Amino acid sequence: MVFRLVKREHASRWMLLVTPLLAVLLSILASSILLVILGKPVLLTMHSFFIAPFENFYSITEIFLKFGPLLLIAQALAVGFRAKVWNIGAEGQMIIGAICASAVPVYFVDSTSGWMLPTMAVLGALGGMAWAAIAAFLKTRFNANEILVTLMLSAIALQLLYYLLLGPWKDPMGFNFPQTVMFQNEALFAPLFSGVRLNTSIFIPIAFTLAVWLLMEKHFAGFTLEVGGQAPNAATYAGFSAKKAVWVSLLLAGFAAGIAGMSEVAGPIGQLQRSVTSGYGYAGIIVAYLGALHPIGIVFAAFFLAVLQIGGDVALVSADLPISAVQVFQGLLLIFYLSVYTLVNYRIQPARVEKAASTGLPS
Amino acid sequence: MKTMSKLLTAAALTSALISTTAHADTLEIGVLLPSPIADVGWSHALHEGINAVKEKHGDAVNVNVVENIQEGPDADRIMNKMVGDGNDFLLLGSFGYMNAGLKLAQRNPDKSFIHASGYKTADNFSPFTAKYYEGAYLMGMAAAEVTKTKKLGVVAAFAIPELISTINGFTLGARSIDPEITVDVIWINSWFDPAKAQDSAKALLAGGADVLFSNAQDTPSVVTVGEEGGAYVFNLNSSMKEYAPTKYLGVVKTDWAPFFVASVDAHLAGNFEGQNQWLGMTDDVVVVEDWSDDISDDMKAKIAAVQADIVSGARHVYDGPLVNQAGEEVIAAGVRLEDGAILGMDWHVEGVNSPLPK
Repeated sequence: MVFRLVKREHASRWMLLVTPLLAVLLSILASSILLVILGKPVLLTMHSFFIAPFENFYSITEIFLKFGPLLLIAQALAVGFRAKVWNIGAEGQMIIGAICASAVPVYFVDSTSGWMLPTMAVLGALGGMAWAAIAAFLKTRFNANEILVTLMLSAIALQLLYYLLLGPWKDPMGFNFPQTVMFQNEALFAPLFSGVRLNTSIFIPIAFTLAVWLLMEKHFAGFTLEVGGQAPNAATYAGFSAKKAVWVSLLLAGFAAGIAGMSEVAGPIGQLQRSVTSGYGYAGIIVAYLGALHPIGIVFAAFFLAVLQIGGDVALVSADLPISAVQVFQGLLLIFYLSVYTLVNYRIQPARVEKAASTGLPS
Repeated sequence: MKTMSKLLTAAALTSALISTTAHADTLEIGVLLPSPIADVGWSHALHEGINAVKEKHGDAVNVNVVENIQEGPDADRIMNKMVGDGNDFLLLGSFGYMNAGLKLAQRNPDKSFIHASGYKTADNFSPFTAKYYEGAYLMGMAAAEVTKTKKLGVVAAFAIPELISTINGFTLGARSIDPEITVDVIWINSWFDPAKAQDSAKALLAGGADVLFSNAQDTPSVVTVGEEGGAYVFNLNSSMKEYAPTKYLGVVKTDWAPFFVASVDAHLAGNFEGQNQWLGMTDDVVVVEDWSDDISDDMKAKIAAVQADIVSGARHVYDGPLVNQAGEEVIAAGVRLEDGAILGMDWHVEGVNSPLPK
């Protein structure tokens, strides 16, 4: 028996709102079953995930430390996804951003200039944009699939990072270990409170969110961008450019990811090392979809995933959970979201109806 | 009299209470490891060491292990959480935890930290490393006897002094038996990349090597390639003989138990002192065992004699004359290389073909 998905003519708006919540509930349920099989305490684990992160001030600041880059990257990716530009390579753009920003403290080890941090931010943003521009150029010139290009560029970015850390940028006093010097204070964002790692870089994603919200919801440019990507022919007819949608989407994502990479090396890490992204580039994709590609939804989604990640770390220590279990939980979340989303928007029909309905099928 | 006995009973009860409180006051030990504990390898060896602490102190200690945590901002948070959860003694199992661990130690002067492979120290923060080169020297002697091509191959993780000095020790040991032997090295820049390690091992075999050294690889990747390719093979940290039953040359094992037990004891006694702990065969931390049966009794006797001399201090792997790859004499005859020069080693001895990545 073969089935086929048919788009519902009137997908319930209310159901669309409920989709993320339903996905969360289902993944909690599924992971509880897994926990029972693993022989781990379900209640303690859920407490670690959802309550422990709020139990002390330090932990709350850590949530916001993760919230920042997730929000920044997801907002930019969502703009692209709405225009059907599938940038999967924010991870690589983030790495290049971190690399370009690090050039400043690596080459000006003794500088105490107040211009260091702004320069790093500019270089980080330009680096991320340049990396994304490669994919945009290949897409618009040769129609190269941006999913593959951005994904592969991430692998190249990682090798470039390794090359620099093992070669020219290696800390001369670091016993040959692949990492740069520790950055001076002038190259770091100031902590918001003493003794915590949350720093002033948190204001960037918030400002960026506001800007994206204005662009996409209140400005005609947002509309042309969306149409340009979704219906290139119609867009051309109306005078909007499909190519422009590709360029704007990718450059915006490169900008955001580059800044996110810069904020990591100039924030909690304080140097360039082999792992700089904490997987934000990929997690940002989850956040964008969990937030239904809407600027406000993404704020909640980013916060939720940040809590989930901090909670995951707590669960590692307090509930003795293996790290893979945390990753499974996050994976389940996305799978359930996509499943629920699909079922809300599409009906399942036996394939026999196919012939009659074929003209009306979504591509 | 009655009052007296009442008093006595009360005193006895109080002391009993105090002693139970003392018992309930278990030491929480936090352990952070970079890779899965698994059955073999680096994290496994560290875990075995901490198990010895548990065995000695029983219920007086409680061990909390978090494994498979990559260095980076998340490791930092997990360490903080461990301290927040009441772990008073921390074992940080990777070089990459150094900077965050040191900061944490400085903020928590009443807690004790031991940190693998690093070089930074604080009053309550001791880095520890093994003198793997001592064991590797003995393996080199054994390799010199079994090699036919006179070519030895090394698959190595990162070009840090710890690994460079191990390769040099291996080379010196082999050439002490047969000066015609040369060593090729492939750096794969990972502690844990089985696919890359296997490809590199195969490349070394293709280049003519018939003895392989799996230098700081956390999986049996290279060891299995040796067995399948008919080359003798040895590794560090824990025995992988079951993966190369016929071609296993031996293991340069690390037994961290003596050092971990001593550190925890010092912490409990209140006299833990942060210092660089560089431990070798004399400390019973570096142990060479599981020797292949193909090594002759004659060679075994030679190895045992050298081992005894290293333990007694009569001999040192880095006794001069030492010549570098360029053929220049680095240390003259009769002079012993200083510890600092070994801990910061950034050159290869003569006999190593591959250039050192800089």
